[in-house]
Amino acid sequence: MTVNLLHLVHQALFGAIAASGFGILFNFGWRDIPWCAASGALALATRTLGQDAGWNLEAAAFAAAVVAGFTARLLRSHLGIGGHDLAAAGCIPMVPGALAAQGIFGLYALTAPTPINPSATLVTSMESILRVLFTMAAIGTGLAIATLVLRSPAKTSLPASERHEFPKLRLKE
Amino acid sequence: MTRLDMINATESVLVEREQLIPIAEAALLVARLLMETGASAKTVHEECSRVVRGLGAQHVDLRSGYDSLEITIAKGASYITRIVEIGPLGVNYRLAHAVRALAKRIAEGEFTTAEAISELTRVQKGTARHPRWVVAVGVGFACAAFGRLLGMDWAAFIPVLAGGTVGQWVRQILQRHGVNVFAVAGGIAFLASGLGALGSRFAGSTTVPLAMVASVLLLVPGVPALDAQYDILEGHPTLGIARAVVVSMTVIFMATGVLIAGVLLGVLK
Repeated sequence: MTVNLLHLVHQALFGAIAASGFGILFNFGWRDIPWCAASGALALATRTLGQDAGWNLEAAAFAAAVVAGFTARLLRSHLGIGGHDLAAAGCIPMVPGALAAQGIFGLYALTAPTPINPSATLVTSMESILRVLFTMAAIGTGLAIATLVLRSPAKTSLPASERHEFPKLRLKE
Repeated sequence: MTRLDMINATESVLVEREQLIPIAEAALLVARLLMETGASAKTVHEECSRVVRGLGAQHVDLRSGYDSLEITIAKGASYITRIVEIGPLGVNYRLAHAVRALAKRIAEGEFTTAEAISELTRVQKGTARHPRWVVAVGVGFACAAFGRLLGMDWAAFIPVLAGGTVGQWVRQILQRHGVNVFAVAGGIAFLASGLGALGSRFAGSTTVPLAMVASVLLLVPGVPALDAQYDILEGHPTLGIARAVVVSMTVIFMATGVLIAGVLLGVLK
């Protein structure tokens, strides 16, 4: 595995800028924006390392989301209840919007009166759309894993023994 | 049971029922605010449940749909069901975190029901937002950075920054006027990608198509797409699928806007 350090720094830097911009759009407070930047830099650096190691985009995005999710979870005492959201903001630059657009362009091209090389266009288009779906699934699952593994069991509803018995409705005859 | 006992029991049920109404209102306010600020269904259910128990009810059932929430809460022999409509779903983490922090305090018994509703309303109205120009410039930088991540050349950086900034600025104006979200996605994609293409072509960029796509990445609904997944993974498939459909439609409208701009400018065929 060869790591291009300049490329790694480039990806981390622009991942940080993109995540900060989206942090502002998502109305994080100014105190949290540097954390958004750190989360974006960490996610993009991890993804770049994964791709440099020969992994495909989906696997690299999954690893990046896992790292961002676990880091946010471990820094929970500093980040408060917004830790998971900060990790998500860091992963937003990995959302493959450009691939999604390419996939849709390809589908439009297929509907032209005389499509050029329709078989190849269909394959390319479907490949783009599948990569979007798998990458989104990888990011979502990667982020969810940290929450599921390190989550403190929250009492969201009463145990069955304490549950309320609703009075039975009686219909008038 | 004597007749007097029956009357007393009925009165007791009616009093409890009266007490449940504001609890349901407080819980639905928490749930609605969280839904509108980008929380997943599980978070909404957890916080709503905490609030209901903190305010003294014994049982809560919540059903979360894409545009409405229904709640049934119970205490003793009394129970009520209420429904509330949800406004446009967006992302506002500062408000979401403030509501969750408040829900925690309500669950710990710090507030009466009336105080809780009043405090929630205060938080809703009082939570600051970044100035619009700051958001527009921030989004412009995010689009330009996205472009660099996609392999766009430096010549297109400033044009994409400008296209993204103008696109976000106009998007905010359209949103304030209540324009349909899909029409906004299509229109802003056309505007931002057109500006990005014209500017990057003028600047001598060799990656004009990438610049067009980078200019509209502000429209990619990343958080709703992640929420859709969480909802499906966490046992709320109806809401998750509804979110996924909205995400797909937004991306289709976005791509259509870019395509029209690209064909008109001769960048895309």
